[in-house]
Amino acid sequence: MADDGAGEGAQDLTAENAALEQALAAEHAAVWGYGVVGAALAPGARGTATTAEAAHRDVRDTVATLLSQRSVEPPGAKGGYALPFPVLSPTDAAALAVVLEDGAVAAWVRVLDQAAERSTRELALEALTGAEVRAVGWRAAAGQTPVTRALPGL
Amino acid sequence: MSPLPSPGSRGFSRRTLLAASAAGLALAAAACTSSPPDERERVTGEQADQLLGQVGVQETLVAAYTAAGAADPALAGEVAELAAQATEQLERLRQAAPGATPSSSSPGTPASPAEARSWLREQVSTAATSHAAAALNQSGARAALLGSISAGLRGQDGLLA
Repeated sequence: MADDGAGEGAQDLTAENAALEQALAAEHAAVWGYGVVGAALAPGARGTATTAEAAHRDVRDTVATLLSQRSVEPPGAKGGYALPFPVLSPTDAAALAVVLEDGAVAAWVRVLDQAAERSTRELALEALTGAEVRAVGWRAAAGQTPVTRALPGL
Repeated sequence: MSPLPSPGSRGFSRRTLLAASAAGLALAAAACTSSPPDERERVTGEQADQLLGQVGVQETLVAAYTAAGAADPALAGEVAELAAQATEQLERLRQAAPGATPSSSSPGTPASPAEARSWLREQVSTAATSHAAAALNQSGARAALLGSISAGLRGQDGLLA
């Protein structure tokens, strides 16, 4: 039974769990992708990627635990992912990081849309905001403009 | 090899959000293809009132960009894109809350040109916090819209730092 502070009455969590599974998939991809990002950055510039990867790991683990507690088998990481473009330079790495964060942002906005539980909205807001703030930095590093978005994930 | 998740593959459309009205209607349009119309799109009177309030919050922020730019013309040019994004956010909020009417709330003005940036940043942060809090009390497309706007403003906040 959902404990929804926003709606009237209870809802089932089917749609929310499905959205969380998609968010988890995006977090798996981000964790994997930041390995590629870090490898393409100069050693002195890898700290930001390392921090971002750690953030995605934390969110990934939180979501996996949540789904398991609901008796939903959390999807695991894929064996490999196809890069959207060759990552051969720090600029490429920043552009890939933008892709990773944008993917996470979109997934978490969807969770917000589908959430029945207030606690899930709290989780989604935190994950969404963290991803968008990181994306701003990566867009700047990649030379993309504008670096901010009016409506990230929509 | 699996493709990396694409932001465009989420089955979540602008039309979906535009369909989310705070007019108190239980909308027929489903938010996403994965679920039928449900409680998420039902708007209580309290939620509708709060969404109208968020329109006012955003109007104040748009006015703050104007005030900051007037105080520091150099800053006005620098933040023109951010101001345009704030206006876009306001338009989307008004679409989601069709009963909203323009308010006359003023954010005040920066104490001095030198303080315009920090003053504006505070205004942006305040609006982001307000929209985030409101998102937790909403559901469905309204929660998604408010959360997205809040995150976008957090990005602006970081850029203004």
